[in-house]
Amino acid sequence: MSAPTTERTSRRLLASAVRHPAVVPVGAVILALLVGAAIVAAAGLDPVAAYVAVIEGAFDPRSLDYTVSVWAFICGMGLAAAIPLRMGEFNLGGNGQLVLGGLAAALVARVSPLPGPLTVLLALLAAAALAGAFGALSAPLATRLRIPIIISTLLLSPVAVAVVSFLVRYPLGEPGAAVAQTERLPDAAHLMSLPGLTYSNIGVIIIIAIMVAFYVVDSRTAVGFELRITGANRRFGTYAGIHTGRLAFGAMAAAGAAAGIVGAIIVMSPPYRLIDGALLSPGYTFAGLAAALLAGGRPALLPVTAALFAVLQVGGASMERSADVPRQLSDVLQGVVIIVLALRTVIDARRTGRAG
Amino acid sequence: MTDAAVTLTGISKRYGAVVANDSVDLVLRRGSVHAVMGENGAGKSTLMSILFGLTEPDAGTIEVGGVERRFRGPADAIAAGLGMVHQHFRLFDSMSVAENVVYGAEPTRGALLDRRAAAERVRELSDRYGLGLDPDANVGRLSAGVRQRVEIVKALHREAEILILDEPSAVLTPDEVTSLFSVIRRAADAGTTVVLVTHKIQEVLAISDEVTVLRAGRVSGRFATAEVTGPQLIEAMTGRDVVPVSNAGARELGGIALSVDRATVVEQGITRLDDVSLTVRTGEIVGVAGVSGNGQHELVEAVLGAVALTSGTVEIAGTDVSSLDVRRRRLAGLAVIPEDRRGEGTAVTMTTAENITAGHHRSAPISGSGLAKGWLKRRAQREEATRLMADYDVRAESDQSLVGALSGGNAQKVVVARELSHGAPVLIAEQPTQGVDVGAIESIHTRLLEYRDAGRAVLLVSHEITELQALADRVVVLFAGRLVAEFSRAEATTARIGAAMTGGVTSGSGDAPEGRTA
Repeated sequence: MSAPTTERTSRRLLASAVRHPAVVPVGAVILALLVGAAIVAAAGLDPVAAYVAVIEGAFDPRSLDYTVSVWAFICGMGLAAAIPLRMGEFNLGGNGQLVLGGLAAALVARVSPLPGPLTVLLALLAAAALAGAFGALSAPLATRLRIPIIISTLLLSPVAVAVVSFLVRYPLGEPGAAVAQTERLPDAAHLMSLPGLTYSNIGVIIIIAIMVAFYVVDSRTAVGFELRITGANRRFGTYAGIHTGRLAFGAMAAAGAAAGIVGAIIVMSPPYRLIDGALLSPGYTFAGLAAALLAGGRPALLPVTAALFAVLQVGGASMERSADVPRQLSDVLQGVVIIVLALRTVIDARRTGRAG
Repeated sequence: MTDAAVTLTGISKRYGAVVANDSVDLVLRRGSVHAVMGENGAGKSTLMSILFGLTEPDAGTIEVGGVERRFRGPADAIAAGLGMVHQHFRLFDSMSVAENVVYGAEPTRGALLDRRAAAERVRELSDRYGLGLDPDANVGRLSAGVRQRVEIVKALHREAEILILDEPSAVLTPDEVTSLFSVIRRAADAGTTVVLVTHKIQEVLAISDEVTVLRAGRVSGRFATAEVTGPQLIEAMTGRDVVPVSNAGARELGGIALSVDRATVVEQGITRLDDVSLTVRTGEIVGVAGVSGNGQHELVEAVLGAVALTSGTVEIAGTDVSSLDVRRRRLAGLAVIPEDRRGEGTAVTMTTAENITAGHHRSAPISGSGLAKGWLKRRAQREEATRLMADYDVRAESDQSLVGALSGGNAQKVVVARELSHGAPVLIAEQPTQGVDVGAIESIHTRLLEYRDAGRAVLLVSHEITELQALADRVVVLFAGRLVAEFSRAEATTARIGAAMTGGVTSGSGDAPEGRTA
């Protein structure tokens, strides 16, 4: 074999390796970790110690229970992004859907005369319905008025957040409280706790069940097949007779319902109140979106990528304590991951644009 | 040649397995209008991307004004005196004409934009070339034709001596095309070299001085426009040697299976399909000829329901489907092999099994019935796929191979298998053999004839006259969105079809005007 031939073969191998679908997501994570390390080092701190602290913090037996609950919430919000992403749509309205779910649960809990489990079920259904309807609203806006779903979800979300914030502050607010919050929900609306655990309750099981359902629908049903076809090539879907508008309606309703259920679970967990801002401040929506993007919307990968962000988020706090690195580093890492993933879209578009 | 403004020699470019340009030579004479023509996918866009520095060639040289150049990007090409007006305009809608024109090469006074100089420059160029542009107008409010002139002035402002116009008439109304031509003429008279990229023959004949025709990445003809006829250009564009498949002729015609009545499609003010009526009977293949972009694709999409009819009706197997969606039209008895395999015919990132069963996934054997309705039987899906792949000779490693990894011919067989295997009474085949190898062409042609012989109706849209002659029992010709001619199998000579494709004939079976022979 002459040298040029071997060189060409190795270049071809390299080229096909670079095109492997796992390269970009894994590369994004590695790059993010390197950028994070560089920032920590530039601040004169020890990046290795920081990452060790993250891992130790997240997997500390005493807080593992908490890590699992954060993971579940990120999974839930990840579903809200991943379901539409499967058909190529971006749901950026997770925040609005999340708080509407919380609102619906709080309202149902307040008025429901039913015994415990039924009240919880009713609250979850109401949350799914209200948040699902809010999410689904973006589909006709896209099909009839040609407002892209990514835009309408992004712009409608703050409206819902503001409305819920107003309701919690005034009509539904606890009189005399220093914080804008509802009264403590009646006992019937408290989610069952799991034996021996403090943070993770039955809500974790519910979210896992929804993830399983998404996996089954995605891989085993006609609707899931249509979602994947539309995500792979929308024009092909149209030619094959898929009603993409109706599909978007269903996907956005399901996405909104998932976010709404997360909201309901948070409200029906300690401290059993809808508190203004408390649903949004942990940043589950953005972490879930990042996890969904990193998983490429694939149901089987979502729990894995969500675990990554859960570890960063929980471990970030202990990193702040023990390695003196601010926990905002977790947000920086999330941001870098998203930028790298977005770059791929741009590069793909360039590549196909040239092959004309 | 001493007066060559640009000389491209031996340009080659491949994308993976696709050879986009194969040793292309192109000489542009200074001050001439040079048309580069060819079908979609013939390599025009790649060649122009290379000339404008958007793509680097694998081999070949570019000489501008006798000096060899290597363009690392469009900036190099612009510096060498090239300008390009893209098919899709690159303008800022919210800014004025003058601001758009000078963007990137602004006249300045100190650190500030010299608005007066900018407006003056636009006025001067506008007057010189008879463009009638108002420098202060807001670009977002202008029509497509005027916006195109803004793009032209933008290039001229940067002292482009060689102006590339990529499919400039695609977005224009007929009147705007006329005024574009007078602008091109003036620019050429003033010494600018104009390259006109197009697949419309009538434009080439109307405006160009010289023509270079590309086919499958190679130069298939070089002509002085004054000495060439439309049919000769069509032959150069489409005259591929098709392995002859004998059409023994239709046995017995049945009832009308597809009926299109006075179909009109208007998109953004442009009439794409103009009052077209045609019928296809069972046991018949009706060919649709035309240079691409004359309404064929709109006809297909209007029948399928992917684009809405502005007026008119479509009937499939006796059902008026005009107001139905794609799915219900397919259920009514329609199958479609789309023109663009990667764009509409397949999802390249999905498996062969998924592609070959898509669209039939809601019926047996792939979908369950009764309580299991809506569930995919994955084993049945794979079995069905394996069966179809064997039947239609799709060569892939397995039914789980991604369609993007298959050759063009095999990917097309996936489409053909999916559309033919369900025996829909009406089949539309749009460019069914575009970009596939000779073996696959023969097999697809045989399948289409068998499909007809099984007592079904086929509407075959093709840019290849030879393909239509081989398969069609009757040929209709579309020109500028109108159905301008209809020929029986016996009448469908290359000369007649070619003349009608260039708009030369408006009525059916009469003798076509004799063109100069090729």
